[in-house]
Amino acid sequence: MDRAGRRLGLYVGQKVTDAAAIAPDLITAEAEPEADALALSALVDWCVRFSPAVAADEPDGLFLDISGVAHLWGGEEALLADFRARLMANGLAFRVAIADTPGAAWALAHYGEDGAIARPGQQIGLLAPLPPAALRLAPETAAQIDRLGLKALAQLFDIPRAPLARRFGIETLTRIDQALGRSKEALTYRRPPNPWFARLAFAEPISAPDDMARVTIDVAAKLCARLEKEGQGARRFELCFHRLDGYVAPLTIGLSLAGRDAARIAKLFAPKLETVDPGFGIEVVTLEAAEVEPVSGRQARLDSLIEAGGAEGLAPLIDRLTNRLGEDRVWKARPVESHVPEQSATPGAPMAPPLAGWDPERPRPLRLFSRPEPLELVMAPIPDDPPVQFRWRGQMHRVRRAEGPERIGEEWWRGAIEDARTTHIRDYYRVEDETGARFWLFRAGIYAPGVEAKWWLHGLFA
Amino acid sequence: MSGFRDERLAALKAKIATLEAGGRTDSESLPFGDPRIDSCFLGDGLPLGCWHEFGAEGMEAETAACPAAFAALVAAPLARRGEAVWILRRDDLFAPGLVGLGFPAERLIQVCARDEDEALAVAEDALATPGVAAVFAEVEAVSLTAGRRLQLACEKRGATGFVIRRRPYGGKARGATGSAAASRWRVTPAASEPGPGEFGLGPPRWAVTLERCRGGRTGAWLFEAGDAYTHEASDGTHPLRLVAPLGDLQLATAQPLRRAG
Repeated sequence: MDRAGRRLGLYVGQKVTDAAAIAPDLITAEAEPEADALALSALVDWCVRFSPAVAADEPDGLFLDISGVAHLWGGEEALLADFRARLMANGLAFRVAIADTPGAAWALAHYGEDGAIARPGQQIGLLAPLPPAALRLAPETAAQIDRLGLKALAQLFDIPRAPLARRFGIETLTRIDQALGRSKEALTYRRPPNPWFARLAFAEPISAPDDMARVTIDVAAKLCARLEKEGQGARRFELCFHRLDGYVAPLTIGLSLAGRDAARIAKLFAPKLETVDPGFGIEVVTLEAAEVEPVSGRQARLDSLIEAGGAEGLAPLIDRLTNRLGEDRVWKARPVESHVPEQSATPGAPMAPPLAGWDPERPRPLRLFSRPEPLELVMAPIPDDPPVQFRWRGQMHRVRRAEGPERIGEEWWRGAIEDARTTHIRDYYRVEDETGARFWLFRAGIYAPGVEAKWWLHGLFA
Repeated sequence: MSGFRDERLAALKAKIATLEAGGRTDSESLPFGDPRIDSCFLGDGLPLGCWHEFGAEGMEAETAACPAAFAALVAAPLARRGEAVWILRRDDLFAPGLVGLGFPAERLIQVCARDEDEALAVAEDALATPGVAAVFAEVEAVSLTAGRRLQLACEKRGATGFVIRRRPYGGKARGATGSAAASRWRVTPAASEPGPGEFGLGPPRWAVTLERCRGGRTGAWLFEAGDAYTHEASDGTHPLRLVAPLGDLQLATAQPLRRAG
């Protein structure tokens, strides 16, 4: 709803027919809550340029924790003016307020004067004339308070606490306390405020690829110097280029072992820099470290040079590969305690210590198909003999030797017992054909007379 | 007279060996532990610090299970010594299967490349990394240039490459290339023999042809994975056991059968 609509007396939640009666040339559009939520989260991401602690306030607001950042702009007024100018440039309609608590800021932004700044000690005075709805109360409670003739917060503040809580519920009391800073309010920040954060702002916007590579090294050096001073290292780095037009291009890299080598980090970002479109120029670059953990300056052991070389050499290789190919493309198989073959090995972190867990006495194929392939023309004596011949990929195979069955049932204890079926049981056979090729095939379900058995090929032995 | 000839021959052989090693003098080798095959190589064992090619025919050219298993077992002693990296195009390598054969797959790092060029680039990168002892790459073919690059990467740190030739499903077979490889092997499955009094399948067997061997002799043998699917493994011997040398005649009869099937 735009300003003209509000002036005519339209409000959110009104029926379209009622609204059309007031404004005959009303233009309506479908509400798109998902798109609104997306736009809000984009705005939240953008606001990180002002402060790392931003919390979305569904459906149409956001909180910005500017504790300790206002001086970067030269005071709260200057920060607000800059914020306002940038939002205005993006064509957004908005109301802002600065206060000591999220509750008070919300009240002022929604019901107070636009752009209000509550100075220390003035907060209660600014809140006093606002309507009770400014406390973020449930609609029923707000309506009840309104019905009793309490039109301003000042009147609510005067009521003793005990009767107030009895009358309007504990929620009202909590909201008052939150607005006045008597009790704490936890905001769900976009992400937890991260102390491992470095920022470089430029007097002139940059856009040349060489400059971008250079500022990457600079910002990495800035963050890594701090990491080194405190004996920490990080496994994940996010580099953000803030463009003049408000667009933010994030790049992320991961390290397999926590590190703080600025040159190495910048090198991993280097191939990704060309994907960033600088547009009209980049004015701010930020680098954030996540998964920070203590790293001691390790000394390679002198007596086992080869072993130390292995750990030092492998980690950079894995970093190069995961950042070039993607994290899901480099792995080390990790054993899982499961009888179901396809679940007994899952991709694990490439630098994780090796775990033994597979039983070598239980033959498993070298190639396991993610999807078992159906077999045709299977000739198998009933009830549970291995097949004598089968066709796979258009080729007949006559079985010469066979082993089995190895019955593998579903893990019924993991799901609801009602969902367990005998048809989920697989009888696996290891067979060898005339040429010596070895296959792993299974019959689905338990033999039942009159039911044709389904045969599948699940893997190949070498 | 003959003593002088032998001396001359040994000196020449040594000279050729240094030329073949590309200037590196510390050319190591990995013996199979059986003189019938070790004598085929210059250094009494599979030369390290270079790359070897493993291929197959028929269905195996697409699934490449036997060449992969054979290459893994050839390299198993290396994988125990240092790091091993396996580069795949299709993510169907099953680590428990490798463990069953006697390869330490718990430590194996697997990489799934998006295309052929990327697979070769990753292989090159891994070969040149300190600490990496063996690199397996499942690729369709290695061109002369790519092979030369792999060789240079191998020589950097002395790592050994194992190229497993595998063509995409439904793809057309490409001719064997790769004259930069130190050796070229063809692996075909062979019927297993269970021990006396046992039934079912015996330990896996492969009929293996050494088609090309730089500075050495070619040959054909029947191999068995002696330690497969048992706990009593790793007593220090090579996991591959040479069962019998194969005459070319036997292989020649085995091949048409597979194609006809």
